[in-house]
Amino acid sequence: MDQKRLKKDQIGKLYNELVGEYDFYAPINKKGNIAFEKIENPEDIVLDYLNSKIPPKSVLFPQNEVLFEYTLDEKDVEITDRQDLEQKILIFGIRPCDAYSFELFANFFSFHGDWKDDIYLKKKENTTLIGIGCNTPKTTCFCTSVNGNPFKKDNMDVFLTDLGDTYLVEGISDKGKGMVQKLSWLSDASKDDLKKAEELAKIAEESITTKIDVDTVVKNLETCFEHPVWDEISESCIGCGSCAYLCPTCTCFDVIDETDHYNNRGRRIRIWDTCQSCLYTLETSGHNPRDTKIQRCRNRIMHKFSYYPTNYDLLGCVGCGRCVYVCPANNDLRVILDKINKIEEKEDEKVVA
Amino acid sequence: MGIETDNKEIISSIRENAKLLLSENQVDVIIGYSEGTVPLSSTPIIIRKEEDVDKLIWNNLCYINLARYLAPLMPQLCDSEGNSLKIGIVAKGCVGRAVNLLAVEKQIDLDNIKMIGFNCNGIVNRSKIDLEIGEKEILDVSISGDDIIVKGHNWEKKFPYDQYINELCKVCQIKSPSATDANCIGECQELESIHDEFSDIAEFESKSADEKWAYIKDALQVCTLCYSCRQACPMCYCNLCFVDQNMPTWFGKTTQFTDIFTFHLIRAQHLAGRCVACGACSSVCPVGIDLNIITRKLEKIAKERFDYTSGLNAETIPPMMDFKMEDEEEFMLEED
Amino acid sequence: MPNPYIPYITKVKSIISENKVNDIKTIELEFKNEEDYKKFDYVPGQFAEISLIGKGECPIGIASSPTEEGTIKFTIKKMGTVTSGFHNCEEGDIVGVRGPYGNGWPVEEMKGKNIVVIGGGFAFSTLRSLVIYLLDEKNRKDYSNITVIYGNRDPGEVLYQEILEEWKKRDDIKVVLTIDREAEGWTEEVGFVAPIVKKVGPSSDNAVAVICGPPIMIKTTIAVMEELNWGPEAILNSLEARMKCGIGKCGRCNIGNKFICTDGPVFSLAELKELPDEY
Repeated sequence: MDQKRLKKDQIGKLYNELVGEYDFYAPINKKGNIAFEKIENPEDIVLDYLNSKIPPKSVLFPQNEVLFEYTLDEKDVEITDRQDLEQKILIFGIRPCDAYSFELFANFFSFHGDWKDDIYLKKKENTTLIGIGCNTPKTTCFCTSVNGNPFKKDNMDVFLTDLGDTYLVEGISDKGKGMVQKLSWLSDASKDDLKKAEELAKIAEESITTKIDVDTVVKNLETCFEHPVWDEISESCIGCGSCAYLCPTCTCFDVIDETDHYNNRGRRIRIWDTCQSCLYTLETSGHNPRDTKIQRCRNRIMHKFSYYPTNYDLLGCVGCGRCVYVCPANNDLRVILDKINKIEEKEDEKVVA
Repeated sequence: MGIETDNKEIISSIRENAKLLLSENQVDVIIGYSEGTVPLSSTPIIIRKEEDVDKLIWNNLCYINLARYLAPLMPQLCDSEGNSLKIGIVAKGCVGRAVNLLAVEKQIDLDNIKMIGFNCNGIVNRSKIDLEIGEKEILDVSISGDDIIVKGHNWEKKFPYDQYINELCKVCQIKSPSATDANCIGECQELESIHDEFSDIAEFESKSADEKWAYIKDALQVCTLCYSCRQACPMCYCNLCFVDQNMPTWFGKTTQFTDIFTFHLIRAQHLAGRCVACGACSSVCPVGIDLNIITRKLEKIAKERFDYTSGLNAETIPPMMDFKMEDEEEFMLEED
Repeated sequence: MPNPYIPYITKVKSIISENKVNDIKTIELEFKNEEDYKKFDYVPGQFAEISLIGKGECPIGIASSPTEEGTIKFTIKKMGTVTSGFHNCEEGDIVGVRGPYGNGWPVEEMKGKNIVVIGGGFAFSTLRSLVIYLLDEKNRKDYSNITVIYGNRDPGEVLYQEILEEWKKRDDIKVVLTIDREAEGWTEEVGFVAPIVKKVGPSSDNAVAVICGPPIMIKTTIAVMEELNWGPEAILNSLEARMKCGIGKCGRCNIGNKFICTDGPVFSLAELKELPDEY
């Protein structure tokens, strides 16, 4: 049987059993912010969170990530590749929207045929996801409008449902089923457990009241590049990076060399970057293809709701709502998309430049 | 009189003045605050038509310093040739200070600006409330009497208003723009005689050097270098921030503590004697870091050393931008 | 699959200054491993991410032609930290090279056609690569008439002067040089690139034009080409953008849904017309 139950006080036991084999990541409370960190003490794990402030993309795509290391000699350089990509990773307590974002990442990083981002893809391959359904989605959540669901299990290996004092444990992928079987001390779930889980899933799905007509968004974006609506959309933006940094699907990065000149060695690293920064596209000649915040805000929306669907036949948004509630200027994505939906095509409007 | 009543009066005076400015064509646009779409927030808005002034609000969650949109002047506030429109700006005291200081620093032309002054009654400390509520969704925040009422699914919590506003708001002496500003309509105040108070940082100051270091180190560990603080700051208007320069590269951009600390340290120094104590940097921080402690300490030093308070008028040059031969500079040899 | 961010190791074989103000140098690189050089199989118009390990990396168009065997060349203008570092390189210094990236000039599709090469200033490097490739004895027969129009601000900025002299001596290529304003000793054309193109008036008949230069030159030249009845499919442009990865991952070089690094840098005018004006 693939359905088991895990008592809430057995999380420590689960951790102890798996931590030898995996780098064990789970949500913890870091000064009021839920973030996924490598767990040293299972008591730090917080599972009754709403949604993490920092998305779990930080595990597989950390804010600073070594691409390779180097040592510098008078007339020579020695490069050392990443040695740690085979390490098995376990992400415990991930939400369905974030688990789905990993699929988008993998899709994007394996695009452009010859040039796959093997650093990300290898890590992804060695990662097992033990996710948990959202019994109480936030009012800012809109996953059901963007191919998601608070109990979407597709992208998980093992799926947990919070039944009160226990979790229902379901093996989803083959990898996950194998893992559940190995945890032989888990007791079998009852029919009541399954029934309760089903009810919770139904209640959760119904509780998501934000509905966005994404099809119309995608359609309208095809023709509204030059529309004055962008002036309005970008009005309150202050140009910070919170929406991008805390977005589970934003992948952009900068690359720099960090050299320790005393020891003649260093590392080339990538660092999260954001298209909302005016420097992001500034060329050394001084030319900047997107030098106003109107263009930059537009790029962010176009990227997720137009370029992504065009290039990959997927939406670049998982509906987690983080950008909605972290935006310092409350430039609410739901409002932005609503404005785009209300654009009525006029004959005289230019399509594209 | 409760906060709630205050706010109603403030709103009607803002709308009335906004209407006046637009109807008399004294301004082309008004930048103010509108109702937020999520609790504990508000959205800056540009009003272009008289009939839209009712979108303007005030509610103790209007934490963005609107002067931030003046420098660099955002395209929405320019005409088609890129020249500044005549701008009306809803101005609490710290917005008035920022406007003055931006004029001193020659970033804006006061002739284009009209302030709609009012007596600010403080900004709710968002991160303190967030922290105390924890992992429960806040559905509504309102003010009733002298309490902040926070509601969620089947729960409600009251926070005494005077305790749950920003620490710097608690001691703020400059609640409305300066009366000497000819370009201010609405509430304004005589600022020449104000006495600054810094009891909000007394606790921090009482710490030993080691304790201060530990405090700052702990506070900054969650920083993601998203630069919201810099972007929200009305006085951080550089075209190219030192962080972003690469000729030479002044410091790394990683989230190692040294890089995070260097950013905040240097930003604070650039704001020494220029901070207008609006608290926007702390209010906007997505991870709830209280940066006010550092900027307020520098503000206090500027007051003690140079008897300077930023933005009281549009003439006095901030001490760190000025030079006097007779300056004793005795502090340069001090050890504390 | 290998880590795509690890560069091949090369050594500086030679470094020469290309102009009088000395802010443009051509650096010639030799691969440390012969195997790596074999893997670095490129066509004219492609670029590479070249790096001074420890200082940083930047995308630069390949100035050499694949027909110039043994080494690869890059012409670099001193602009920022990394490019200044290249200017200070000496023979034997280590340079990291990733690539080749981008689509390059479509040399196969250009076969059998008249080729008009239009360049402005420092952006001539990938055009140098192209013309050397076309003139190579193995390739010359595959292409019809070749015309090069190359403009600069003043005589001191003209790149690759020795090569230009060689081309001028040949009878199977027409070379038109121009500078923006009259200068002492200058005997060739004077004027911006676009009006000179108009004056030369290349025929669009069975022809392809390749254009590389600053945005304003590209835009004015395109206008002239359209006046001369050139169709949008026959006008090819090489674009630039800020880039970090070169392989469609870092995000910043997009124009609409296309990436300059992987979908470009060469776009036909027909393609550009479908994209937003964000380049």
